[in-house]
Amino acid sequence: MITQATPNSDSNPNSNTLLTGPAAWLDSLFEMSKKELLIMLRYPVEFVASFGQVFIIVTILTLAGLMFSPGGVKNAGESSQTSGLVVYGFILFMFLSDTLWTIGYNVRREQKQGTLEQLYLSPASKFASLVSRVTITLVWTGLLSATSAWLMSAMIGRLPFANVPLGVFILALSLSGTFGVGFAFAGLTLRVKEAGQTLANFLQFAFMVICAPFYPFFALPDWAQPVARLIPLSYTVDAFRSTLMNYPPGFPELAPIGVEIVIVVLFGLLMPPLGYWFYRREEDSARRKGSLSEY
Amino acid sequence: MIRPGHPTLPQSFSAALAETRLRMLNVSRYPGQLALEIIIPIVFASMPMLLGRASAGDDAAANFAANTGTANYVAFLLIGSNVFTIVTGAFWHIAYWLRFEQETGTLEAVYLTPTSSLTLLSGVALYSAIRGVGSAIFAYIVGCLLFRVNPLQGDVLLALAFIAAGLIPLYGIAMLFGALVLKVKESNALVGLMQWVVSFLMGIFFPVAVLPPVVRAVALAFPPTWMTNGVRSALLGVGFFFGEWYLDMAVLWAFIFFTPLFGFWVFNRVETGLRKNEGMGQF
Repeated sequence: MITQATPNSDSNPNSNTLLTGPAAWLDSLFEMSKKELLIMLRYPVEFVASFGQVFIIVTILTLAGLMFSPGGVKNAGESSQTSGLVVYGFILFMFLSDTLWTIGYNVRREQKQGTLEQLYLSPASKFASLVSRVTITLVWTGLLSATSAWLMSAMIGRLPFANVPLGVFILALSLSGTFGVGFAFAGLTLRVKEAGQTLANFLQFAFMVICAPFYPFFALPDWAQPVARLIPLSYTVDAFRSTLMNYPPGFPELAPIGVEIVIVVLFGLLMPPLGYWFYRREEDSARRKGSLSEY
Repeated sequence: MIRPGHPTLPQSFSAALAETRLRMLNVSRYPGQLALEIIIPIVFASMPMLLGRASAGDDAAANFAANTGTANYVAFLLIGSNVFTIVTGAFWHIAYWLRFEQETGTLEAVYLTPTSSLTLLSGVALYSAIRGVGSAIFAYIVGCLLFRVNPLQGDVLLALAFIAAGLIPLYGIAMLFGALVLKVKESNALVGLMQWVVSFLMGIFFPVAVLPPVVRAVALAFPPTWMTNGVRSALLGVGFFFGEWYLDMAVLWAFIFFTPLFGFWVFNRVETGLRKNEGMGQF
């Protein structure tokens, strides 16, 4: 069945637009992403600053790591395993941060601007609306990742770079899984409102410690290691960097790579529908209570 | 003599304190945010700590001592991350105060009161200093206890003196930055970038001696660099830049006399320019 934009669209050939189906969905996603890009381009300082920021963070972490090596900064460029650990962890951290929190932040922004209710009156796909919040950011993060990887490998050593197709596959499924968590977090934002930001910060820091993106899991304190094993994101971190580092001795740390890949695949396939279901449930509840525009 | 529409010094002081109280009341409504301010520096310092332990193993402390002058890497990194919290707090609170008033449309209303914006800004700076230093000291103690290190080693009073002396020029720089935010109007991006530039220059996790000469010279022109090294030297004995504490403190005092005045002057100029060109309410 074809759903049309206006009741009298037969008389207007331009309005004979499909509003459902994959083509309409893709078109909505494209237009919504374009709008996000337009907003991004209106803030050129932010554009440049995000780039500069990544370079500085990378340099700070690198110098900090070098303070523990025998020759200090003179030792830069000698440890490829350390550089692999830090670089791949940092890349995954950037991607995961985008998908995990950006959707929730954007829903909150629409609430603050008072445009969230209007969005719900449009017939456009809500799912595409959520995904579009991250699409442009992901492309930008991809660029940032590539340049930061280049910078870090120049500073702390040649980067091990093996099993690229499998690495990309793990990254894609990890992102898919974190999209799901992102949907769930956006739903939670509708419920907890302003506390959402604090909660996001708290969870982000918990992820930085427990899921060990910047150091190996064996460096974690004893109490944190079983906790790390309970979180699927830990397996995405471990599988991603171990694969690109070509499984050096001791890696992957949490489980054999086959088991880790199964966990990553299940996480990537199950989390999006689960997260979206949770978002719709929270959205429904907010609409019933009339709290969609409250913040 | 009291002139109508021109507050006296005690009145201005009272207005600044009222602004401080208002901010304190506001932040007390978000205990989660305050708790995060304790957690963030500890987590932040734990990143290089865990990486260093994992990569250097039993030699971690010895290697660190050879590169920095102290084997106590836990305290060294915690001092860096906590001074970073104070510095970023100053930048965020000053820049975001202006931005917040702009966004909510109250900045122009603030200008209609007889209290000058610099008085209110001083109130915000006082609030920021109390909040930043309070949470930094608390986070340092908690972090040290978590990683089983004595937080009260070294000359604690001298370390506090360095923090106190460093705060005034820090807020002078924050005011310069506030002027930039008024002009460019993209506070989030600017603060985000600036906090990392400053943390890099002040040697958050490393001594500035490892920086290339030109970058080191720029770093030494930044008061937070002297504050961080002063605290580290007082507590851990890593060595003052000029060998003696009073010489380093003298440099901070030179900053105290220059930076706030320069910050006020630039802020005033930008503010006056924007008011003349009706750019104050735009963002």
